[in-house]
Amino acid sequence: MKMLAPANLDELLQSLAGNHARNEKFPPFTLTALNRVVEHAPEDMTVVVEAGISLEALQKKLAIGGQWLPIDPPRPEATSIGDLLNANASGPRRFGYGTVRDYLIGIKVALADGRVIKAGGKVVKNVAGYDLCKLFVGGQGSLGIIVEATFKLRPLPEAEQFVAGHCESFDQAAGLMEAVLASELTPVVVDWHRPLPTATRQACVVVLGFAGTRAEVDWQLAKAAAMGITEPASLDYETIFWAAESRPHRVSVPPPRLAQAIEKLGAVEWVARAGNGVAYYRGGTPPPKGQVPVELTRRIKDAYDPKHLLPELTW
Amino acid sequence: MAAPTHGQLTPPILDQLRALVGPENVVASPDELLVYECDAYTLERGLPNVVVLPRTTGEVAAIVKLCATENLPIIPRGAGTSLSGAVLAVTGGVMIALTRMNGIVQIDYQSRRALVEAGCVNAWVTNAVKSRGLLFAPDPSSQPACTIGGNVGTNSGGPHTLKYGVTTNHILGFELVLPDGEVVWLGTTPDGGEEVDGYDLRGAVIGSEGMFGLVTRVLLRLIRAPQAYKTMLGVFETVDDASQAVSDIISAGILPAALEMMDQLITQAVEAAYHFGFPLDAGAVLIVELDGLAAGLDRQAEQVIAICKRNRAREVRLAQSEQERADLWKCRKRAFGAIGRLSPNFMTQDGVVPRSKLPEMMRFIRHCSEKYNLRIPNVFHAGDGNLHPLILYDEREPDQIRRALKASDEILNQCLALGGSVTGEHGIGVEKIDFMEKQFSRDDLEAMRALRRVFDPEGRCNPHKMFPGSKRCSDFAPRKQIAA
Repeated sequence: MKMLAPANLDELLQSLAGNHARNEKFPPFTLTALNRVVEHAPEDMTVVVEAGISLEALQKKLAIGGQWLPIDPPRPEATSIGDLLNANASGPRRFGYGTVRDYLIGIKVALADGRVIKAGGKVVKNVAGYDLCKLFVGGQGSLGIIVEATFKLRPLPEAEQFVAGHCESFDQAAGLMEAVLASELTPVVVDWHRPLPTATRQACVVVLGFAGTRAEVDWQLAKAAAMGITEPASLDYETIFWAAESRPHRVSVPPPRLAQAIEKLGAVEWVARAGNGVAYYRGGTPPPKGQVPVELTRRIKDAYDPKHLLPELTW
Repeated sequence: MAAPTHGQLTPPILDQLRALVGPENVVASPDELLVYECDAYTLERGLPNVVVLPRTTGEVAAIVKLCATENLPIIPRGAGTSLSGAVLAVTGGVMIALTRMNGIVQIDYQSRRALVEAGCVNAWVTNAVKSRGLLFAPDPSSQPACTIGGNVGTNSGGPHTLKYGVTTNHILGFELVLPDGEVVWLGTTPDGGEEVDGYDLRGAVIGSEGMFGLVTRVLLRLIRAPQAYKTMLGVFETVDDASQAVSDIISAGILPAALEMMDQLITQAVEAAYHFGFPLDAGAVLIVELDGLAAGLDRQAEQVIAICKRNRAREVRLAQSEQERADLWKCRKRAFGAIGRLSPNFMTQDGVVPRSKLPEMMRFIRHCSEKYNLRIPNVFHAGDGNLHPLILYDEREPDQIRRALKASDEILNQCLALGGSVTGEHGIGVEKIDFMEKQFSRDDLEAMRALRRVFDPEGRCNPHKMFPGSKRCSDFAPRKQIAA
C-alpha cells in the first residue's frame, strides 16, 4: 500500500472524507508536512504544535525559551508528537515528571469521517466539557488522527546528573530503592538495569537522576553518596536497550513487587522504571494480557470510528 | 438529541428503595429534601424526589439497577460544595448521595497509594498520611468538606495546581457504577501496576460531572510532602503590578507551588474576618509559595523578592513559621466565607486566561464593575491564569441579579476572546451551559455527546447538564430576562 503524505490538513481531510465501505482501512500515512510550532508562549509556559514534528525538533525550539516538554521516550528524533501521543510513550524521567497525558491540555483531531474536532484549549487549567484529550493518549490512532496538540511545559532545569549503585541481589536493589524513596531525595529518575555480562556478581544496577537548581542537585548527590550510591552514570543503558529493532514486552506491577517480577523473567535483556514498577524486556514469555473493559472499549470505537476505517486498538 | 423523557417515582418504587438500603438511609420528606435543592451555586434550585444514602457499592448498584428498570433520572452527589449546579436535580429524580460511604479503605505506604470510598472527605486523606511525610496534592478551598468522589466528578483544582496539577493527575483508578448498574474498575487497580492497557477511560470519566455513572471507590496517588517551604506575601499598590509580577516569575523559569492573588476589596474583607495583618490600603497582595528541597529555595526566594520589588512591591513578607504559613493559607482558603461581610449574595466566576493576559483581564473586570455598578472583588489562582471574580449582588433586588448575570457573562466572553476557558475548576453544571457553544464547535460538542452515549445511552445520569438545549429550572427568570 502506498504511503500517504498529505501536504497539509485539508489534504488529509479530503482523503478521509467520502464514502468508505466498512473496514476499508485508511492507508498508512505520515504527517511530516505538518511540522510547525504554531505558538510557543514562554511567559504562558505552553506550546501549540502540529503533530508531524519530531519530539527532538520541538525540544530544540522550546529550549530557546528555556523550557521543555518533560517527556523523554526512546528515539526522540524518530518520534513525532502524534506517535508520542498515540503510544503514550515515556522514558526514565517519568518518575519525576509523569507522562504525556499530564501535559496535554488541548488537542485537534481529524475524525475518520473527515470532520475536525478540538478538545481542551490552551490554558493550563480547564474543565469545560469532557476531557476528550485523554481518549486519544495511548489510543493508537484508533479513534482519530491527531493533527495538533497543546502542551503545558516546564522550565529546563539548571542542572541534571545521574548516579548509580550496584546491587548483588534484587532484594538489595529493592531495599535501596525503598530507602531512597523514604528519604528526602526527590529523584526524577529511579531506574534499574541489567549489569554488563562481565559484572558477574551483580544482579542489578540502580540509577538515580537528580534535576533542578545546581544547589538542589549537589545536595542530593551528597545525600545519595551517603547511602552508597556514588558512581557517576548516564542514561546510555536506555539508549542501547532501545537501539534494537524489535519491540520489547512490558510488565507493570506495584513498585514493591518489581524485584520479584524481574527475577521471574530469567536471563533476558531488560530495563526498568523501578520507581514506577514498569519493566521492559526482550525474549522470555510475554506478560499476561491486561484486563480491559471490553464492552466500553467497543462502544467508544464504534462511536468515533463507526466504519472501522482506522486501526483497531490492540492490547 | 431530543430531551429524554423519564419515569416518575411512585410509592412502590420508594418502598423498594427503602428495602434496598433501609428506611434510615432514604430521605423523602419535603423538609429534609430542601437540604439537597442546590449546591454552592444557589441561584437555581430544584428538588430531587428522593435522596438515597447507600453504604456499599452493592447498594449503589442495586439502586442504580432499580432506577434503570423504572427509567428514573439519577443524580450523584457528594458534599454539594460544587459551584456550578452540577448536582442540581433539574427535573427531580433519585439523588444518590455518597456521603455515608466515606471510609479510607487501605493505605499502601510502600506504593504510595490510598484506596478510599467516594464520600471520603478530601482533607481526611492528607490528615491520615501526613505523619508519614505524604500528602494528597489536590487541595480545593472546600477541602475540609468536599468529597473525593466530587473531586473526581469535577476534576477539582486548588491553589497548588500550578506545580502539582489537578485531580486527574493524582487519581490512579476507580470503581464506577455505570447507569445500567454494571460495576467496572477503570485505570490502575489497587493491586495492579500503573500502566493500564486500552483507552484511558479513567481520564475520560474524571471531570465528566457525574454524567457517566457513580464513582464508588477511588485509588489515589500520594506524593511526598516537600522538605521545605518559603511562603511570601507581596504587597502591591495595584493589581496591574501584581499581575505583571506573576508573569515575570513564570518567565524567569521559577515554578512556585502556588501563586495566589487577592485584590483590595477581598483583602479588606478577609482581614476584617480573620485578622491576619493584611495591609488594608494595598491594591493587591500576592501569595507566592515555593516548595521543595531547602537547598534550592533561598536563592529562588531572593529571585521572587527581586521580581516583586521590580514591579514596585511595597514590601515582601516571608512567613516566619509553619504557624504563620498555615494562618496565611487559612485566610486564603476561607476568603469566599468572608464575603458575607460585603454583600448578602455573590456569584463566583471561574474563567481562565493565558497567564500573560492577566493584567488585561483584570482591567476588563474593573471595567465591568464600573459599567454595571456592582462591586467585584477578586481572589484567584494567578499562576494558572484562573480567575475568581466574586460578583456581589442582593437577591432581593431583581435588577441587581440581572446586572450581576450580565457582568458575569461579559467577563466569561472576554476570557474566551483572550484564548481562555469559561471554567478552570468549577465545571459547567447548569450555570455555564450557554457558554458551551461559544467555547466549542458543533462537531466538538457532538464528539462529547458521543462519549456520553457510550457511558449513558439513555441520558439518565445527571441529566440536563453540560449541553446546550438542556432544560433549565422552569422558574429561573433572570436568564430569560437577559435573553429577552
